[in-house]
Amino acid sequence: MADELNTETAGATPAAKPARRESVFHRLYVGTGAFDIVGKRKRWYVFFAVLVLVCLASIGIKGFNLGIEFEGGTQIQMPAQGANGPITADDAKRAFADALGEQAESAQTVGVGNAATVQLRSSTLDADQVGKVKQSLFDELKPLGSNGQPSAQAISDSAVSASWGQEISRQALIALGVFMVLVTVFLAIYFERWMAITALIALVHDILVTAGIYSLVGFEVTPATVIGLLTILGFSLYDTVVVFDKVKENTRGILGLTRRTYGETANLALNQTLMRSINTSVIALLPVLGLLIVGYILLGSGTLQDLALVQLTGMLAGVLSSLFLATPLLVDLKMRDPKYKQQAERVRARRANQARKAAERDADFDAADDEALDAELRKEKAYAAAASVPARTPKAQPRRGRPSGKRKR
Amino acid sequence: MAPPAGRIRPGRYLGLFILIVVVLYALVFFTGGGKATPKLGIDLQGGTRVTLSARTPDGSAPSRESLNQARQIIETRVNGIGVSGTEVVLDGSNIVITVPGEQGDQAKKLGQTAQLGFRKVLDMQQATAPPAAPPPGQAEDPAAIQAAKATRQAADLVTGSGDTLAAGPNASAALSAFTCSTQDPLRGNDDPNLPLLACDQNGTAKYLLGPVFLKGTEIDNAVSSPPAQNKPQWTVDLTFKSEGRKVWGDFTTKNIGQNAAFVLDTQVVSAPTIQSAILDGQTQITGNFTQQSSKDLADILKYGSLPLSFTSSDATTVSATLGLASLEAGLIAGGIGLALVFIYCLVYYRLLGLLTIVSLALSGLIVYAVLVLLGRWINFTLDLAGVAGFIIAIGVTADSFVVFFERLKDEIREGGRSFRSAVPRGWVRARRTILASDAVMFLASAVLYAIAVGDVQGFAFTLGMSTVLDLIVVFLVTHPLVALASQSKFLSQPKLTGLGGVQTLAAQRRSARKVPAGAGAKES
Repeated sequence: MADELNTETAGATPAAKPARRESVFHRLYVGTGAFDIVGKRKRWYVFFAVLVLVCLASIGIKGFNLGIEFEGGTQIQMPAQGANGPITADDAKRAFADALGEQAESAQTVGVGNAATVQLRSSTLDADQVGKVKQSLFDELKPLGSNGQPSAQAISDSAVSASWGQEISRQALIALGVFMVLVTVFLAIYFERWMAITALIALVHDILVTAGIYSLVGFEVTPATVIGLLTILGFSLYDTVVVFDKVKENTRGILGLTRRTYGETANLALNQTLMRSINTSVIALLPVLGLLIVGYILLGSGTLQDLALVQLTGMLAGVLSSLFLATPLLVDLKMRDPKYKQQAERVRARRANQARKAAERDADFDAADDEALDAELRKEKAYAAAASVPARTPKAQPRRGRPSGKRKR
Repeated sequence: MAPPAGRIRPGRYLGLFILIVVVLYALVFFTGGGKATPKLGIDLQGGTRVTLSARTPDGSAPSRESLNQARQIIETRVNGIGVSGTEVVLDGSNIVITVPGEQGDQAKKLGQTAQLGFRKVLDMQQATAPPAAPPPGQAEDPAAIQAAKATRQAADLVTGSGDTLAAGPNASAALSAFTCSTQDPLRGNDDPNLPLLACDQNGTAKYLLGPVFLKGTEIDNAVSSPPAQNKPQWTVDLTFKSEGRKVWGDFTTKNIGQNAAFVLDTQVVSAPTIQSAILDGQTQITGNFTQQSSKDLADILKYGSLPLSFTSSDATTVSATLGLASLEAGLIAGGIGLALVFIYCLVYYRLLGLLTIVSLALSGLIVYAVLVLLGRWINFTLDLAGVAGFIIAIGVTADSFVVFFERLKDEIREGGRSFRSAVPRGWVRARRTILASDAVMFLASAVLYAIAVGDVQGFAFTLGMSTVLDLIVVFLVTHPLVALASQSKFLSQPKLTGLGGVQTLAAQRRSARKVPAGAGAKES
């Protein structure tokens, strides 16, 4: 079946080639892209299958780099500026050991310039131990507070129990389940059945790929990450909704027509919304990018950065899947319906017929031949009126060389 | 004369929007003290936040009633410390204590269950190994609680009852096998009617204790008192209620020379030898106390024990410096995000980009007002995650404009319309998509807000709120402004709208119809 479809779309490709090729950007901008995404869907399926398999394998074998909220532990943070000059991670480590007689697990300096901070991590300390460490850090290093004076209050600490991350994640998973159910209901009402199913598949893909990339790259997973994952799903669906809306609009009444197959129509819708999808994604990503950079430079780590990173990853996965996975998949699912297959058959028959006629007319069809041109134009107009959007009256058009009397509408 | 379908009267919509802004800002400035700043979370202004998770022996969900009771007791404990501005709120089965400013360290100890019980000491050994930290996660596990209960509270550890109570035959071996640990799974979850193997607070001694004969609820008052001649350290002085006085009197009369243990949350605070009968209902707990710790204990005992046991899931103190840095970082990130979107929109959409900027700015205006009002009305605090929510929402808001503008292009390209006639039609179609996609986004935020715990709620709340406000702005500002621009000859020049390329294309299309059939089949 897939072969049959491929030949059809392939057959349409030469016809779809514009006489004068514009630059890719211009084609994107005006929406005439004519990128044959649906026709080459097998390639994309292979791509996505490999991607998902790699992600699953990585999750299974490599697992995740879990943050302090999952492992449990204490983190102490202070400005890297002290009354006696800059404070290094080693200084902080020494002060920690002096206070408790044991070593901190890690110490690092994050952020730059005045925003730089030193972070110490250790196993979970109780309130008294935290107090001791803070006192020792203050006595030995005198970190400067916001007013430029050394202050013990300039030291932040956070103690997290090992179960906290699990609790947050459990809630997030429940939220994910509830969201999936509600979204399914929403999609079922808003779209037709196969569209809803495809959108869900794309959604699952986005979760898997985002999680997989986290596992592969070894980004730290924090509760903020787990949560961010949920909002990505909103974005992912957002893109899919935009594309499917257009597919739905373009394919209205397609079964009664022989102009295009479902696959070609879907591909056209995809091209028409391509710029919209790219634009919405770029615009959604720009603030996230700002968040990521600022979070990284100024704070080094934490909520801002975690949320931004997961959004960035997930949005990219989301836009990819809504363009290259959702629509092709929709076409294949739709084509399981014999009605659409028969329609595709009729389209092919008509094209064969046209090609034969064109061959008969041979090369002597001439744009200058008014009669032939008019016949062709009438046909085109009839198809246009029936296939896509309802008929419109192009009043404001300049009527170049067209006999105005012929237009009755 | 009513405008034709799809056309609107932009002035009315803009007027409605101005009305909304005026009402919102009137509320901001003329109610609730008129302070026009939103409530900031402790991670943005500095302070301490402690999240206490309720923990039940069998892992079941604690009842609402006991959670509320626990919240109230913690609130009285907070008031006992006398830190102002402290909030104690219930978040699912967590109690979150928030202390703004720099005095929050004491709040970290407020979650102590403080179940005090008096048990008879039947056997005692020095702890041989130093207390070991258990593997992470274990202490909160209901299975760990059950296991600890089975070994450390076995009924056959003791024989007899009341005055004949004595260590059972296997007790000595069990006590030797028992090791102290810094995280006790039984903490606050021991059964008072069973014997108990317990350690002292330093983990240096371990005890076999009889069942609780006198409960902490019989304590009438507790005060901490300074060191005196015969007591080198701070102590906590207890006064019993009448029933407690009688029981304590009885016990001390019959057990002179024996030891009684004060057990607080399954840890032995002290196990003094009874020198003489104590009949006046007064007693002292001595231990390794400092002034602060004796006061803490006295306060906690005075305000009663919690009906549930809690673990501190997350105890965070953010210095004012770090809070300020975070707030700045958030604002800078938001600024950069906005600037990037502005530039992109201007380059890409020109005049329409300008309208986007105006819409985003107005959106920011009402978001701020709503933020201040929500802080006042429902105590909504803006935290770092919430700031992230707003920044990410910039994208969502701008997306709605993109959907609309790209729709306009579609209309011009495919319908061969002018900018002016494309607006009403494009709007009708874009509206549907905008509503659907915002609905999905809102759904995600609402689910997240309702179910998630911790930081996330702020994020979900701001994102969801921005989505709703986005709708208001798109409907009442962006669309009317675009409609106005399309009616002005000057503003709808192709050079200004950035739609020139599309219009040229539409013109090309029309002339392309004269080209042989092959090319005509390309597109409609």
